[in-house]
Amino acid sequence: MNDLTKVSIDFERSHLVFPRLIALVLAILLVAIIIRDRQRILNAMPYWRGVFKDMDKTRFFGALGVTLLYFSLMVPVGNIWPNTGRGFLICSIPFVMLVGLLFMHERPIRSVMSLAIVSVVGPTFVWWLFTYPFFLTLP
Amino acid sequence: MLELITPLFVLLIVGGTMVGIIFGSIPGMTATMAVAVCLPLTYSLGLENGLALLLGLYVGGISGGLVPAILLGIPGTPSSITTTLDGYPMAQKGEGERALKIGIVASLSGGLISLLVLYLFAPALADFAIKFSYVEKFLIILFALTVMAALSSDMLMGIFSGFLGIFIALIGTYDISDGGNGKYRLIPPGTEYWLDGGFSLLPVLIGLFGLAAILEQAELGVPKGHSASDLQVKERSKFSFSIFRGQGTNVVRSSLIGTFVGILPGVGGSAASILSYTNAKTFSKKPENFGKGEPAGIIASESGNNGLTGGALVPLLSLGIPGDSTTALLIGAFTLQGIQVGPLFIGNSPDTWNAMIIAMLIANIAMFAMMYFAIRYFAKVVTVAKHLLFPIILMMCVIGAYTINYGIMFDVWTLLIFGVFGWVATKLRLEIAPFIIGFILGPSAEVYFVKSLESFGDLSIFVTKSWISVVLWLLIIGSVAGSVMLSRKTKTSL
Repeated sequence: MNDLTKVSIDFERSHLVFPRLIALVLAILLVAIIIRDRQRILNAMPYWRGVFKDMDKTRFFGALGVTLLYFSLMVPVGNIWPNTGRGFLICSIPFVMLVGLLFMHERPIRSVMSLAIVSVVGPTFVWWLFTYPFFLTLP
Repeated sequence: MLELITPLFVLLIVGGTMVGIIFGSIPGMTATMAVAVCLPLTYSLGLENGLALLLGLYVGGISGGLVPAILLGIPGTPSSITTTLDGYPMAQKGEGERALKIGIVASLSGGLISLLVLYLFAPALADFAIKFSYVEKFLIILFALTVMAALSSDMLMGIFSGFLGIFIALIGTYDISDGGNGKYRLIPPGTEYWLDGGFSLLPVLIGLFGLAAILEQAELGVPKGHSASDLQVKERSKFSFSIFRGQGTNVVRSSLIGTFVGILPGVGGSAASILSYTNAKTFSKKPENFGKGEPAGIIASESGNNGLTGGALVPLLSLGIPGDSTTALLIGAFTLQGIQVGPLFIGNSPDTWNAMIIAMLIANIAMFAMMYFAIRYFAKVVTVAKHLLFPIILMMCVIGAYTINYGIMFDVWTLLIFGVFGWVATKLRLEIAPFIIGFILGPSAEVYFVKSLESFGDLSIFVTKSWISVVLWLLIIGSVAGSVMLSRKTKTSL
């Protein structure tokens, strides 16, 4: 009986011991979830169709798309003026403006103007704060 | 101790508390989000000053939730969920300001009582935990995960989420500095360059609590803000402290319930306020008045959720286990300054410990002063347009993720990956709190587990090492069994 609990760990392969154990526990839990929630899993397609039907696609995918574009452009733009953080500044201004416009319900000129001011002042202040007082380089 | 209280220290607490109240007051924004967004500001502040800001945000964020809960009937944060039940009916009767002030005084009481528990209890627990070997440390983590999962809305999903968090935390190298062999595991081919050290903690947290929350709002079409005319802040009857006469037991009981719930790892403020409210109703002489504008309901809910603030710091500062998602972010602030929290923290860093206690005390007083005397102005925050706030928050999330490792773009992509994951996870009914705790504690759990086996070469050591191991196993089994019984009881009563 005592031998059953004996374990010897080879140091060279010790990096795999815990991940394998956790993977095994996850697999067992997953099987338990599948058995318990089989009806819900079978209805997954209609559920996701419902999620996408009810969501505000323009705002959701628009925000996701603009964010993706923002992240992708920041470094290439920043590489034009290395170590100045201008990539962040130049990309953040239109990003804030676009996401703001996307999230607005009505777009009267007054609201758009205040958004425009926020989208210039906000990123510029943050860029100044991190570049000068904090000495942290942005992209 | 007094030399810690510099003007900058106090200014950061007061400023943090104010920003926290603003975040808490806006439905859809939480204390966790406030801490996540402001975390990068702590880089250059040093540990004590950085923590001052974050603790102010934490206390303010939890307290601010009562404003929309009372004035609009919408909880600003999940922890104010039961404040709506009596706060909003009072506001509709023209007692909005009175209800707010009752909530503010109750919040202060809850915050101070939980701070006292933190001050007395955390050092004692840490002293006890210093004696723990790797075996007991591993079991403590296992216990934390099972408690959290047991208290999740779905225990099986809670346990799965916790283990998934551990699994994802193991991606990368088995760190030599932790006694590992320095080899890669779980890394897809071709991604070794980025995933060498695994996913960084802060971008993961910021993604889960910042980006995911905004994606959720975007999915709902970014619900329109409220206009000033929606606010039920008329004043027909004045607030008086006499309303607290006969409420001493309610205040102390609710604060202690909140503190206890805070000590349990990963259990959020909503559980604290619901438990406090239910108890207040059970022990009340007029339970029929609850839900119709009963001040005792607001007192219970608000002292309960603010009781959470000190309680959640107990396991963090004595064991290194965060009590809730906001304190999980505080681990990030410690990591930024190269300090590890755990049983040795209070003894080794008395200045930081004292600074945290003072910061919590000042934050509670500042919260009370600001909200009590300027509640009419804070009430207007509810009407701030989300289209102005959300893009700025997204931008701050990017800065937080980018600057964590002094400029690694992969951390920004991590933010996006976990932001989307957080949104998908809620749709799949995964539990975010156990996931986070699993992610934070996963690497330590691995070290404790593997090193225990390397030292003793026997699995039975996890039971036979000491009487503490036996007690911990009993607690683990008890928490799971209790949860199963509770869920069966709920099913049969439905």
